[in-house]
Amino acid sequence: MERLRPYLMLSPALLIIMLFFLGGLGVGLMRSLNYMPIIGLTEPNLDAYVGILTDRTFLRSLGLTLYIAIASTAISMTLAVASGLLLRRSFRGKQVMTFLFQLNLPIPHIVGAIGILFLFTQGGFLARAAHAVHLIEQPADFPALVFDRYAIGIIAEYVWKEIPFIGVVVLAILQAVGDEYEALAQTLGANRWQRFRHVLLPLILPGVLSVSVIVLAFTLGAYEIPFMLGRSFPQALPVLAVRSYTDPDLNQRPQAMAMAIVITVFSTLLILAYMELSRRIVRKE
Amino acid sequence: MPRPVALDGCEFDMTQVVLTDLTKKYLGATAPAVDRLNLECESGRLHALLGPSGCGKTTTMKMIAGLLKPNSGDIAFDGASVLHTPAERRGAVMVFQNYLLFPYMSVGENVGFGLKMRGVDKQTIRRRVAEMLELVRLPGIEARRPKQLSGGQQQRVALARALIVQPKVLLLDEPLSNLDAHLRDEMRELIRTIQQQMNITTIFVTHDQEEAVVLADRIALMFDGVLHQVDAPQRFYDGPVSARVARFFGGANFLPGQMHNGQFESRLGCFAVGQGAVLNGPALLTIRPEAIQLCAAESGSQQKNHLPGRIISRLYTGANTRVKVQVNEFTLTVIADPHAVDAARTGDMVTLYLAPERLWTLPIESP
Repeated sequence: MERLRPYLMLSPALLIIMLFFLGGLGVGLMRSLNYMPIIGLTEPNLDAYVGILTDRTFLRSLGLTLYIAIASTAISMTLAVASGLLLRRSFRGKQVMTFLFQLNLPIPHIVGAIGILFLFTQGGFLARAAHAVHLIEQPADFPALVFDRYAIGIIAEYVWKEIPFIGVVVLAILQAVGDEYEALAQTLGANRWQRFRHVLLPLILPGVLSVSVIVLAFTLGAYEIPFMLGRSFPQALPVLAVRSYTDPDLNQRPQAMAMAIVITVFSTLLILAYMELSRRIVRKE
Repeated sequence: MPRPVALDGCEFDMTQVVLTDLTKKYLGATAPAVDRLNLECESGRLHALLGPSGCGKTTTMKMIAGLLKPNSGDIAFDGASVLHTPAERRGAVMVFQNYLLFPYMSVGENVGFGLKMRGVDKQTIRRRVAEMLELVRLPGIEARRPKQLSGGQQQRVALARALIVQPKVLLLDEPLSNLDAHLRDEMRELIRTIQQQMNITTIFVTHDQEEAVVLADRIALMFDGVLHQVDAPQRFYDGPVSARVARFFGGANFLPGQMHNGQFESRLGCFAVGQGAVLNGPALLTIRPEAIQLCAAESGSQQKNHLPGRIISRLYTGANTRVKVQVNEFTLTVIADPHAVDAARTGDMVTLYLAPERLWTLPIESP
């Protein structure tokens, strides 16, 4: 009985995880294979996969999704590490700055997206303000930062939200590492850049990579921000999948499910590749 | 002028370090961590900065290394101020108490770190790393990882990493405190040997007076950020400048009185005193516990410098026996050979002999 105790105690959580993971994924997989007895589809096939993988719209969406995820993770990680390094120092007003740095942690993504809409659209606050001070002739002359080709609005929202998320972890790691390693390296002749490159970075890298992989996974699969701030073409994969799934034509469902499965497989592969790459970098360091 | 010392193709400068009115006060602190410290560390010698925790010794060391900026005062290497020389160019290398080997590097990479930062070619680094590991008696362990080493081995690798850059000054922060007794002796001997072989100016921080006495040529004793005495180790036993210094070095017997013409008058009588920090006026008379001779009760208790007393406790500590003797209202501590006091029992009357040449006078401490 004692040996079973950990399994019993873990079972409620595992049950929920497995139910949604295997159940949801299983049903999704069946539907993506055109196996939907309820509408008379009883012969499984790969038509939906062939359909989406030969569709330029899908491929462009896949590229856009990858670009958004990688760009927002890389920018957030870089800025979070830089901020963490600055906030580690002693200076007047440090507590206030640290508080401001972490201020948006409890704010939902959706609120951030609304804020970006208010501020950065061509009819938004900044466009009107720029027009009011005669920087631009019309509010519409304001550069397109939302619903734009480079997904600047989407990336900006993710960066806004993820910097403090990664930053909190970076600050904790920096606190655990302390400053003695750097002090030692300095007495051994390492200059500021060498101390960062050869001492601090290898020490914090495993932790930073672990938290950034969470951000990468999230940005690959998130729906609401690309939906609110993205262009209508190409759309991020999760938006495309939901649109297909909610299409009145039920024949679109297998393709929607195939997209969901592709997103899952792709995310998993990307995260595995990222983790392997991280491990290699850490080992090399 | 510093004299270079050759060792396996390396040249070590012998650097004199002089601290002048060095003061450091941390932000928000009520008192300075280091207060107007003046110290001269002779080139090629081993100096101990000794004192209890929080006395400012590590702060002093970090200022010498360039890791902390003093509020005022100066630090000079061979007569030239290094106050504006950054730590990475100062040439004072620090070995930290907890070794701080880079966990993601091999032993070889750790030892060669300083040379790599200086852009030295890989082949030279490899050769020098091998030499340094040989020097610290750990040859051939370049490929190992720090976690595969014992505490003593890690300490030696840290020492090799510091020595490879041929520092002007070697700074050791509590170098033996994390080692067990056996390794401590071994490391002590290694530090001493290497220091003497290289004649490298070395300053080490410790709170352990025994460690300071065994290792150092000179000891600088600090309390509350203030330097109290700088001397050869023996002088801290024979000629402490204050009761606080004497107590730190195990002094336990202090008798108030008046010093007058080589005679010390107290409530326990008059003593002939050979030497002291106070030659006239109010003073404290001190004698080390191991300097008091414990004699049988009948052996001349009326003679000069003899005191009759009663044993109130005795504690066997292995190497010696610690005996407390009540003399009127004073309690004197005697450290004696266990065999010499084998027959003495608590409650026995004894005579204490305080040899004049072992007595020393100190200034009365302000409350």
